[in-house]
Amino acid sequence: MKRRSFLATTAAAAVGTQVLGGIPLKAFTPMNMPVPMQPDDDRVLIVVQLFGGNDGLNTIIPVDDPNYYAIRPTIAVPKEKAISVLSRVYMHPALAPKDQYGFPQMFEDGRLAVIQDIGYENPNLSHFRSTDIWLSGFNSSDPDVRLLDGWLGRYWSNHIPGFPEFLPPDPIAVQIGGSLSMVLQSPKGDIGIALTDPKSFFELGQGLSPDMTPMSDETRYGREFNFVRTVAEQCDRYSSVVKNSFDKGKNVATYTDGGFVQQMKLVARLISGGLKSKIFLVYMGGFDTHVQQQDEYQNGLHPYLLGQLASGIGSFMQDALAQGFADRVVGMTVSEFGRTPFENGSRGTDHGAASAQFVFGNGVRAGVYGQSPDLTNFDGNGDVRYQWDYRRVYADVLENWFGGTPQETEDVLQDRVLPLGVLQRATSVDDAYEGRVEVNIRVSPYPSAEHVSVEWYQPVNAVTTVDVFGTDGRHVKTLLTDRLAPGTHSVAATGLQSGSYLCAVMINGRRSVAPLTVIR
Amino acid sequence: MKRRDLFRSIGQRSLRQQSPFELELQVEGGIEEHTDPLTLDDVLHLYRRLSYGVSMPEAQKHVGKTARQVVNELLGPKDPPAPQRDVNFVKWRDPVSGQMVDYTENPEGADLQAAFAIRSWWGTNYKRMSAWHTFEALRDPLSVERLASFWSGHWTTEFAFDDQYTQPHTLYNQYMMLRKDRLGNFRDMALDVTLDHAMLFYLGGWLNDAGRPNENYARELLELYTTGIGWYTEGDVEQAARVLTGWKVARFNDQPAPKGIYKTWFDARRHDTGAKEFMGVTIAARTADNNTEFQVRNEEVRELVNIIFRARPDAVSRFIAGKVYMHFVFSSPGEIDKQFVADLAKKFRDADFELRDLFLNLFISKHFFDPALRGAQIKTPIEYVVGLLKALRFNDTEVAPIDGAAWTGLMDQALFDPPNVAGWPGYRSWISTNTYPRRRDFARKMIDLLTDERAMQLIQEMPEHEDAAKFVSGIVRYMLPVAVSETRLTYYKNTLLEGQPDYTWGEKLKQPASAARSLRALLKAIAVAPDFQLC
Repeated sequence: MKRRSFLATTAAAAVGTQVLGGIPLKAFTPMNMPVPMQPDDDRVLIVVQLFGGNDGLNTIIPVDDPNYYAIRPTIAVPKEKAISVLSRVYMHPALAPKDQYGFPQMFEDGRLAVIQDIGYENPNLSHFRSTDIWLSGFNSSDPDVRLLDGWLGRYWSNHIPGFPEFLPPDPIAVQIGGSLSMVLQSPKGDIGIALTDPKSFFELGQGLSPDMTPMSDETRYGREFNFVRTVAEQCDRYSSVVKNSFDKGKNVATYTDGGFVQQMKLVARLISGGLKSKIFLVYMGGFDTHVQQQDEYQNGLHPYLLGQLASGIGSFMQDALAQGFADRVVGMTVSEFGRTPFENGSRGTDHGAASAQFVFGNGVRAGVYGQSPDLTNFDGNGDVRYQWDYRRVYADVLENWFGGTPQETEDVLQDRVLPLGVLQRATSVDDAYEGRVEVNIRVSPYPSAEHVSVEWYQPVNAVTTVDVFGTDGRHVKTLLTDRLAPGTHSVAATGLQSGSYLCAVMINGRRSVAPLTVIR
Repeated sequence: MKRRDLFRSIGQRSLRQQSPFELELQVEGGIEEHTDPLTLDDVLHLYRRLSYGVSMPEAQKHVGKTARQVVNELLGPKDPPAPQRDVNFVKWRDPVSGQMVDYTENPEGADLQAAFAIRSWWGTNYKRMSAWHTFEALRDPLSVERLASFWSGHWTTEFAFDDQYTQPHTLYNQYMMLRKDRLGNFRDMALDVTLDHAMLFYLGGWLNDAGRPNENYARELLELYTTGIGWYTEGDVEQAARVLTGWKVARFNDQPAPKGIYKTWFDARRHDTGAKEFMGVTIAARTADNNTEFQVRNEEVRELVNIIFRARPDAVSRFIAGKVYMHFVFSSPGEIDKQFVADLAKKFRDADFELRDLFLNLFISKHFFDPALRGAQIKTPIEYVVGLLKALRFNDTEVAPIDGAAWTGLMDQALFDPPNVAGWPGYRSWISTNTYPRRRDFARKMIDLLTDERAMQLIQEMPEHEDAAKFVSGIVRYMLPVAVSETRLTYYKNTLLEGQPDYTWGEKLKQPASAARSLRALLKAIAVAPDFQLC
């Protein structure tokens, strides 16, 4: 219980420093509150936000699709200029910055996943609403529904005991620059901090704790008071924590000068210095490429941004590998939408729908997820249709990376969403002992017509749920929820329309998945 | 319609529990008029929300009046008084050469040095304009600048966006227009902004030509400025863009400027003369004979605005009443508040979109004065900065070296330069670990600037200031939005008296340096409290 005693000491020290006019206000703090805990594992998520809407079709190049060259006569990347990676995928040449660890190499080394056509139902073409949809994890275009908080904020605020009255020793999330993003907000308050540079944060942030107990949450005033109080306490508490990590940490890779690259450099240094944050949020704007996105030599604004992206992530990965923390870091890009498949009259593209997403790190199941975009079958606005619901990668992060349960994913997303499987999950001895292991699922006949039977062997007595999902990951129906004895079980899947599905059997919180196709 | 219903049902199911503001709330007051004589706390509350605060003696003059009286006074005349300081951004005396210079030259194509000079002149004037605005806000005894500033945040334009700059003088002209329109009819305001130079440039209206429509402004006019998202089709956006073709801005002296530099003009050749079908209403085609600025303005642009208000009156009134409510009353309305907003919107619509009625009905309502809404709003940076300077009673000489606009910039509100077309997100986004330390730093530095003389003035303005306990509770009322606990009052009194008995306050008062030092300590203790960020 080293951690406990360490905390007890620091808490006492904090009281000691602030005896105000003879009344130490901390004395009014209830003493029997849970001790703040840092989460157990050391896994880190980096969220790379690409604001403006990244053009997926000029990121992962569909070189074998003649339609691509037909609809993008001036800005398409010619096949001979695109970079072929393992004959699986073609990338924009800007993703391989000269003399750096670029995306093609990361892909070959098994550290990069490309997710084709990620998006959501009824795409919203407003930057703001669509960004809110991505960051909140709620797909709602209804303007009357205000999206107030984020999927990561909701998950971690429920995961930390006593939050926000007590804060863990290290910030749960660190955002580099700006006002704190919605993705890190929760109904209980912000789960993280925003800082521009550790030095000025340290100089200005020290001693800001209001040293006052929270108010009752029953009034509007009380809630806002508590919100500000928590931010103040985070400033005070974390300014020195961040500074210490910054001072202790180092960078061993070389980074170029760009703003985004420098953000990645700072993140690497903080991790290297021992900061135990679970999430780092970095940001790059400028992807709203309506005009002159690229010239005939594949130079211009969009290639520049892609180059920055690859350079920042590449240098970061090299740093992580050299310093030995690459196994515990994964990152993902998020962008509110892709661009129109057709280029516009000014060598640019306008707001579109589905786009490409990158997930990087040693813990990634590298590869290309999904087909090349279908450029013959657009949605009602003439945009690329999505293959994967954007929340599938979130479910991956929550369940396979942070170790949450499917129930927690459902609580956070208010919907049943199937993880995409792009992140690896470690199975512990306890998991096996308690039957939390993957099982084989037999779907017969396959493909199926009227009668479909789903059969599996149940290793333990446990509550079992059988769900059917669309291939995009959205929930279609639940076939069964019941406590079952060990043994072989089966359930009939009825009432499904023709199409491809995924069938998930969840035993004791661990999910196994098999494809299911219905042809009528 | 089906899609909307679907979303609504999904939304309600998935989001209701998430929202922290769905608990039982104690707000009882509705749209009905608050007719009780105003208390001191009521007056302070009103001035914090509708202006940038008020001095204690001024506040006391209004105690006992009705809300209607004070609000009418505070809203002021329809035509605002002229600004206290004159600015002229077009012709400008160069501080180095002493010459009057006209910087309307186009930096594109100018030689490097000239281009640099022009752009830095914009930067300088942008700073001058922001400084001018904070000064006007500080010295405004009414609500003129507060309301104009709200509208300037609603009808967004940005000083710097992508690689572009809006010239500060056009931002200034736009601000002066919104200042004049702030209490007029919202429909007229919409028309004024639609054809205003700054907006035409910012949202690409000047590039919107027949045959090559640019839909940027047409979309935002609906989505962000009048109806809100969901009340128009993509077809409406296209048709509105066609209606709005042909309006040009002259930004530089090498561009055609038939009406003078920085004046909007109409290029008949670029106007789409075909018939348009907008929200189910036909705007007739026109011929070369009636394709004139006057006729297109009245028969098409004005008509377009009128159609929005005729076809979607409920949407417009709800959207605007909601936005006003979130800015001035509470940023995260719950169910009870939404009922109030609906009532407020209905009155707004019934008053044919007269803004004076909207603000009057809001600020004289029982809802506005309900105790449950006190202290529930997070101060915006401009409110925080101007409000503190005003509260500390600095005179013009003392305030001159303080760059208030630079401070609001550090708090994430660069004046006249919101992050994007949707404006500042507001509410809790104002307070982060990035901005909160700046707020605290600002308060500390300003309190340190308080001279002994100003401190004594501030002390003497508090009622019964010779009694230490009453003085402390007076200053707390003056600086904080909601009464605080006895424990906190005792603590503040101990801070003031450095732990000495009450009677020592009388001794301190005889020595301004000592009293001022104590006051600064007390103010710093108050400024570190979380509720110092609230109003």
